[in-house]
Amino acid sequence: MAIHTFFFVLLLIFSLIQSSSRAAKGRLFTDLENSLEVTAKPVKDGVVLEGGKDVVKITWKLKSLAKVDAHATFKRITVKLCYAPISQVDRPWRKTHNEISKDKSCPYEIVSKPYDMTPQSLDWIIEPDIPSGTYFVSVYGIDGNGHKVAYGQSSDDRRTTNLFTVQAISGCHVLLDIASICFSVFSIVFLLVVFVKEKRKAKLEQRR
Amino acid sequence: MQVEGNGEESGITNRRFALPVDAENKSTTFRLFSFAKPHMRAFHLSWFQFFCCFVSTFAAPPLLPVIRENLNLTATDIGNAGIASVSGSVFARLVMGTACDLFGPRLASAALTLSTAPAVYYTAGIKSPIGFIMVRFFAGFSLATFVSTQFWMSSMFSGPVVGSANGIAAGWGNLGGGATQLIMPLVFSVIQGAGATKFTAWRIAFFIPGLFQTFSAFAVLVFGQDLPDGDYWAMHRSGEKQKDDVSKVIRHGITNYRGWITALAYGYCFGVELTIDNIIAEYFFDRFHLKLQTAGIIAASFGLANFFARPGGGIFSDLMARRFGMRGRLWAWWIVQTTGGVLCALLGQIDSLTLSIVVMLIFSVFVQAACGLTFGVVPFISRRSLGVVSGMTGAGGNVGAVLTQLIFFKGSTYARETGITLMGIMAIACSLPICLIYFPQWGGMFCGPSSKKVTEEEYYLSEWSDKEKENEFTSH
Repeated sequence: MAIHTFFFVLLLIFSLIQSSSRAAKGRLFTDLENSLEVTAKPVKDGVVLEGGKDVVKITWKLKSLAKVDAHATFKRITVKLCYAPISQVDRPWRKTHNEISKDKSCPYEIVSKPYDMTPQSLDWIIEPDIPSGTYFVSVYGIDGNGHKVAYGQSSDDRRTTNLFTVQAISGCHVLLDIASICFSVFSIVFLLVVFVKEKRKAKLEQRR
Repeated sequence: MQVEGNGEESGITNRRFALPVDAENKSTTFRLFSFAKPHMRAFHLSWFQFFCCFVSTFAAPPLLPVIRENLNLTATDIGNAGIASVSGSVFARLVMGTACDLFGPRLASAALTLSTAPAVYYTAGIKSPIGFIMVRFFAGFSLATFVSTQFWMSSMFSGPVVGSANGIAAGWGNLGGGATQLIMPLVFSVIQGAGATKFTAWRIAFFIPGLFQTFSAFAVLVFGQDLPDGDYWAMHRSGEKQKDDVSKVIRHGITNYRGWITALAYGYCFGVELTIDNIIAEYFFDRFHLKLQTAGIIAASFGLANFFARPGGGIFSDLMARRFGMRGRLWAWWIVQTTGGVLCALLGQIDSLTLSIVVMLIFSVFVQAACGLTFGVVPFISRRSLGVVSGMTGAGGNVGAVLTQLIFFKGSTYARETGITLMGIMAIACSLPICLIYFPQWGGMFCGPSSKKVTEEEYYLSEWSDKEKENEFTSH
């Protein structure tokens, strides 16, 4: 009887796995039209930028040859910071995925605003919690349903040009280092004191 | 209930204990909610210290999504750190048994805990992947307090209750691996809320496990004692215990094939548990796009099952022994551990979050019960070399964790979900040797006891040569 229940439960679990793996396929990147022209230029050129301090000038506008009728379709524009391939090596949590909902390569949103048909520009101060890495900027056109319908990026198709590198803040602090040293020394000293005390006690007992 | 124990040497007579004791002043009962000196106090001090060491060793994994960005870690770095965190205590566990013999469990365990606390504090100041790997390596040594816990319980509690004392102490210590997945994200968000940036908040958070580890060692030193009658050095029991030849004890331990099988099998129940402690929070964070705190809560529920699952495994082993003897213990162990492996293999294949959590919870109960069932068999393998066999088994657990992370969770060779499935399959395979364990006096899984009618006493006495037995006899 127990065996029957066990196998039934196993069968149930397997059938649930099957049904969950046949989930509906989401929207793909390749469906989006490249109708936005984007540039992202660090104010300091040719050097590694510092998180929390340096500025990147971002501009975007609709391409003149764009097929999608932007004025009718776009309701919002989202500007995102994306990892360049070199910062994705051996880091599967930053992987690029063609299915938009599964893509993890653009985790940081720089700004999101209603669509304005005039060319836009923004001076963005790199936030202090942006990690070290090499980046480019992507801009997405979003329709009334919240779906991405078009995009543009500051780099080429292979994401190898016009990249900029950021050096993050370390988060370290002198006070933390001092506290570590104090507590560590205290622990070791207490241990040595106890050892010496115990040895003395043992010698006393032996003499008795 | 106050019982007078037999005072033995050093002029200590008429000691009063809160619990009933046997001739060696070991407690014959186990009262969970008592803190009475010295037995129950020793229990609470030792499980709490072990718990704090587990919290510190696995404090990094739930915060990895933040730490990996701050230190620019790759998947290879994270894998190496995970391996480092469990490899230090392979050696430390082997040495701890001898350290307890020489200095007593109180000093040995507190020394280890206090000397590894600096590694936890220093985590706040690391700047590179190498620094991360080093602090995890040194902090991980503290997991050897498992051995001191078992040693201390065996010194304080007598036969009928020592299994429960050991099982609960080990289970509640392992609980730390789950509790830390809750504690660290919580502490991190509180510190962040107080105004610290992400990359500073995680560093400050590490002072919590560090301080708890230091505090628990203080408590052990100030309030604990090694033996019912006092402390090791103060008592100087050289006349009491027959001194055995250390090299012979070690030789009898390592030449007993059963010790190697339990070491391998423990590597694939406890080793699996350690591996999951290291990878599960990141797995849920990445695969199901959860928030750090949510991933932490789910990851914690894996380790928190230790509260009842591991002690339950030990109790189940004793129950099976009452009806079916040693063969019952072996069958129960093999079935529970193999089922754990099957559930682990299943876990990696599941795409749905809810189902993943359900399967993970059931899997956690089975794998932790298997750990309890392992130590239901280990005490019977050898009397003379019990310490060596226990040490081998305990170390084997960590070796299993090292191997598994090396093969399946280093770098980006396998996706995490594939690694989990393959780990489950390997656990099933490495549990098969349990079928080969055979005691001539009790039998094995597939064979009855030997037709030569070997008694229990004959089995254990066979660990001594005839000459040694003679010397024992004549020296009295």
